[in-house]
Amino acid sequence: MKNSFDFRSMISNSWVQGAIPPALLAVLIIIVEIGSPGFLTGETLALLLSNTAVLFILATGVTFVILIGGIDLSIQAVASLASVILAQLLPSMGLLAFPVAIAAGLVFGILSGVVHVWLRVPSFVATLATGGVVAGMALWLANGRAITIEEGGRASTSWINATIVGTPVVVLIAIGVGLASYLGLRYSRFGRQSLAVGAGEPAAYAAGINVDRTKIVAFALSGTLAAIAGVVLAARLSSGSPSLANQLLLPAIAAVIVGGTAITGGLGGVGRTAVGALIISIVRIGMTFVGVNIFAENVVFGAVLIAAVAITIDRSKIAIIK
Amino acid sequence: MFAANGISKSFVGTHALKNVDIEIRPNEVVGLIGENGAGKSTLMRILAGTHRPDSGTLTLDGQPLRLRNARDAAGHGIGMVFQEQSLLLNMTVAENIYLGQEHQFTRFGILNWRAMNDASRRQLAKIGVDIDVTARASGLTFAARQMVELAKALTLEESVDRPLVILLDEPTSVLSASDIDVLFARVKSLKSRASFVFVSHRLEEVLRISDRVYTMKDGAVVAEHRSQDVTAPALHEIMVGRGLHTEHYKESKQSVPRSEVIVEASKLGVAGAFHDVSFKIHAGEIIGIAGVVGSGREEITRTIGGFLPQTEGALRIKDASVRFTSPEQAVRKSIGYIPRERRVEGLVMFLSVAENITLADLSCVMRGGAINYKEERKLAVDWIKKLRIKTPGPDAACRKLSGGNQQKVVLARWMTAGSQILILDHPTRGLDVGAKEEVYDLVRDLSAQGIAILLISDTLDETIGLSHRVLVMRDGEVTAEFDASRGNKPDQVELLREMV
Repeated sequence: MKNSFDFRSMISNSWVQGAIPPALLAVLIIIVEIGSPGFLTGETLALLLSNTAVLFILATGVTFVILIGGIDLSIQAVASLASVILAQLLPSMGLLAFPVAIAAGLVFGILSGVVHVWLRVPSFVATLATGGVVAGMALWLANGRAITIEEGGRASTSWINATIVGTPVVVLIAIGVGLASYLGLRYSRFGRQSLAVGAGEPAAYAAGINVDRTKIVAFALSGTLAAIAGVVLAARLSSGSPSLANQLLLPAIAAVIVGGTAITGGLGGVGRTAVGALIISIVRIGMTFVGVNIFAENVVFGAVLIAAVAITIDRSKIAIIK
Repeated sequence: MFAANGISKSFVGTHALKNVDIEIRPNEVVGLIGENGAGKSTLMRILAGTHRPDSGTLTLDGQPLRLRNARDAAGHGIGMVFQEQSLLLNMTVAENIYLGQEHQFTRFGILNWRAMNDASRRQLAKIGVDIDVTARASGLTFAARQMVELAKALTLEESVDRPLVILLDEPTSVLSASDIDVLFARVKSLKSRASFVFVSHRLEEVLRISDRVYTMKDGAVVAEHRSQDVTAPALHEIMVGRGLHTEHYKESKQSVPRSEVIVEASKLGVAGAFHDVSFKIHAGEIIGIAGVVGSGREEITRTIGGFLPQTEGALRIKDASVRFTSPEQAVRKSIGYIPRERRVEGLVMFLSVAENITLADLSCVMRGGAINYKEERKLAVDWIKKLRIKTPGPDAACRKLSGGNQQKVVLARWMTAGSQILILDHPTRGLDVGAKEEVYDLVRDLSAQGIAILLISDTLDETIGLSHRVLVMRDGEVTAEFDASRGNKPDQVELLREMV
């Protein structure tokens, strides 16, 4: 009993210090290399990274919210809505459809933040509800169907599916988003203040930090990045659909936590989320190899998420888990 | 007889109890007095089984007793009536009285409400009070809730075949004089069936109700008296423990305030908390506010710190009229708040020393719109040297520091932010003597630099020792003001007279 507790506290300590996730990733890469030499080169690697890109962008957005100690359950709905808006507007607006779809994500991110902060609704309820609203709007806009991006629209999306010097553009977009988010978290006032809010909100408030604004900005970023993930996904699949991103919420949150960002807030970052997203992607490939039914994937991700939180959560910080 | 021998207990960095011996004899009311932080509550928690001592033993009728939790203690007939009342306000009186003991009224998993309500009425009848057992606790007065807690403790009589020991932790702090009379009458009538430990810092009350009195100071029992052999002033002197060692508070460093008025409160008030409060704080002046819990002094610090907007009167900070609705606005007006809850409101414990120092004002380490980590580190290293902060380094998380050093980090933060007004809310709570003196030294230095300081503190001694002037508050109003300039320190007894 005592030993298992010590083991857990040891794991949770070093996991939170960030040493375990990269090690886990390395182990997974080695396993894949042994099982299928040469898999992680050339085209298959490019495909793996492209598949990770959307998940990573989504997970990066929710990282901001988890860092302030909240959660955003609306991201899959926002991503789907953005895909619908993009698919509908592309024929008439061309490239301008992209900023419009992304702006929709920004607006709904701010809405979630405002509901959470001003109306004092816990973030999981606030975003569950706004997520429902957004999903409903996506269904309504799309009349409940997937909208194929026709030949005319594809002229405006083909750049996303292109490659530059052998690197898929989606991967470059993910790298750009990741780099900007990393720098923002580390070097901006907002980044520092969001860590402070997540790690100790009362102290941050007493130190004169505008806690409400910091939270709303985090939700706004989450919504915006969810929409970016949605349009990238739509461009890749040449389709916008109100259920396009429906299976991505769980893997995205799992990526953040498995990467080593604390679910309780205040500790973590985008670099860790990148590692977490890669782990999730490789696990997904591994499951395909092993022959796990594709529909059962979320069973695994759910279990992974529970295990990651159970192992990493710092129980000295919270006495009662609600 | 219930006895504690050689009890010691320490929490991270502080000795809460040192080698404490007390005994509680049958049919006796034992008083326990001491200033805040003297260790009374910790001792009570050990007697009640909610804390375990680091060393020392408890014995009951000569048998060693190991209490693992409150249920264990209850099994031996030891019950506690808590200072922070422990009733669940959303439940009925009967539910509260039998909380955790409902099984005696259940059959096949179904609760027999009538039996539980009847039993609750019997319990309340024991202490002769008439309270509707089906009413929710939230609707009761504080005095009635106290009676319910007492009745709850008395339910132990039915399950334990020895006289009970009932611990009353500051039971009178929220009661009016007539309610106190009622409580005391109940305690006296129950004395034939139980012993009581009565904790309070109101000496007259303790002497009135108790047979014997233990006096605690700095975690140790320093005196034991029979109540008829001692007077309140004599106890007070023992409790405070010394004549005024003026140098303890660095009085020789007490500088003369400047003429510039920094803070001016006129007829300031917050509905339900304080009312018609007027004072000025000059540059370099330390104003102390003395008063018991509930006197409104805590709320005054919260108002000036931006947590609690005033509902009446005016507050001027350096000639600008203000009404803060958030600490952010107060910080902008160069106010720094040093809270009593250092670990909650003072520091972000999981951030580093450097990050905590720049928490209120990052701009001084921002270069070209980005945080410059090298500058931030340098700034932190400067403060670590200047304030002699003991830390593994500027990157160490603040939770690894001792209380005194944490307090220095909070001070360094407000100095970095250029605060000209500091609110010291119990600045030395939980610090040991050496750390306290360092804080006093720093406070003197800040005052000499012209910083205006508002102080509330655990002890009158500290309030008088540090301040230039002391306001005394009672029931939300200022009842007196004392000059406390160097050499003119008022006597504690004078202040006490205005406080209670």
